Amino acid sequence: MNATRRGLNRFLLFLVAVVLLAAGALALLVGLAPGGADTWTSVMGGFQGWLVGLGRESAGWGAVAAFVVLAVILIVIASSAVRGRRQAPLQSTGSASDEGRITVTDNFASEALKNALAERDEILSARITAGEINKESVLHVAVTPRQNTSPRQVAEHVDTLVSNLAALTGQNLRAYISIHSGLRAKLAHDNTRVR
Amino acid sequence: MTDAVLRTVVRRETHSPRTVAMIVVAVLLLLVLAYAAVEIILNLVGQPALLVAPGEALNALVAAPTALLPVAFIVGGIVLALVGVLVLVLALKPGRLSRHEMAWGERAVVVDNGVVASAVAQHLSNESGIARDDIVVGVAHRSVDVTVRPPVGIPVDEAELRRLVEEEVTSYKLSPAVRTHLRVQRPDTKESR
Repeated sequence: MNATRRGLNRFLLFLVAVVLLAAGALALLVGLAPGGADTWTSVMGGFQGWLVGLGRESAGWGAVAAFVVLAVILIVIASSAVRGRRQAPLQSTGSASDEGRITVTDNFASEALKNALAERDEILSARITAGEINKESVLHVAVTPRQNTSPRQVAEHVDTLVSNLAALTGQNLRAYISIHSGLRAKLAHDNTRVR
Repeated sequence: MTDAVLRTVVRRETHSPRTVAMIVVAVLLLLVLAYAAVEIILNLVGQPALLVAPGEALNALVAAPTALLPVAFIVGGIVLALVGVLVLVLALKPGRLSRHEMAWGERAVVVDNGVVASAVAQHLSNESGIARDDIVVGVAHRSVDVTVRPPVGIPVDEAELRRLVEEEVTSYKLSPAVRTHLRVQRPDTKESR
């Protein structure tokens, strides 16, 4: 669960695709269309003339400056996509009453869930993280059950645990449960009913 | 599930973020930009070029149609266009991951297709008595394909098997919904001919 800006990823890919397709179409035109080669030579010649007109120094440094600006934009976009993977810090919530104040950290919630899940034989591994989507915190419970385990059973179990935890801590957790298959599930013993 | 935040989470978790493709494209672009900038700077400070000086490169570009055969342009154009189409597909296709959402009250539940497949196979094996190894289940975005290879001479009730699979798959409340197909495959033996 992360906050990568997917629209931006796709937008950049789309721009690059359009540039590549345009370049491809241009090359095909030069190769296939009659007079394409002459047009190419005259247009590129004009471009070269413009660069020469600017002077060696200003054309060179201008190009370098433009490249640097482009590079900075690319680095910012790429690093923002990677930084989106950062997890939200574990938060604490408190409730106060006449008797005193109770503070429950997300860390406690995640440990409690993890321990409860570890007791089940059909669940090989569980990972609990807190994420932030649209400024709202979401508890992510990722479980890898043994192969052949019914996902319904797993979802039911995790759902009950999260509900119990919510009742215990008095806050309604927004939970996202993901059930994974993976190498670990493939290598471990299957969950086969003994007959 | 009515929660807008959880709906966002489920959408994000069932579709590819395209981060890898974007990073690859960005890094390639950066390398090209860095190389071009280095050549230009070397030329400006009067150092020898690494591969080709910017002025010569520009001359070669202008003279390309006379220096190269038209075939080179056609091949180059086709290659560029193919790469462009590939990147365009990456940009526009939804990029569904092989996962399904399970409708589960107020919680968001996403399950890998592999988990569904092995669970359906196990359920069918438990209920029908056919060995687990003789059942192959494949789960795709909109369909569940079950292939059963019962041992020679053992009759199977295809309608019953179909009902078992359908019942189990329906109970997962997958979204997008899947259709089930069941196939009984008999080993090719003398008796069966």
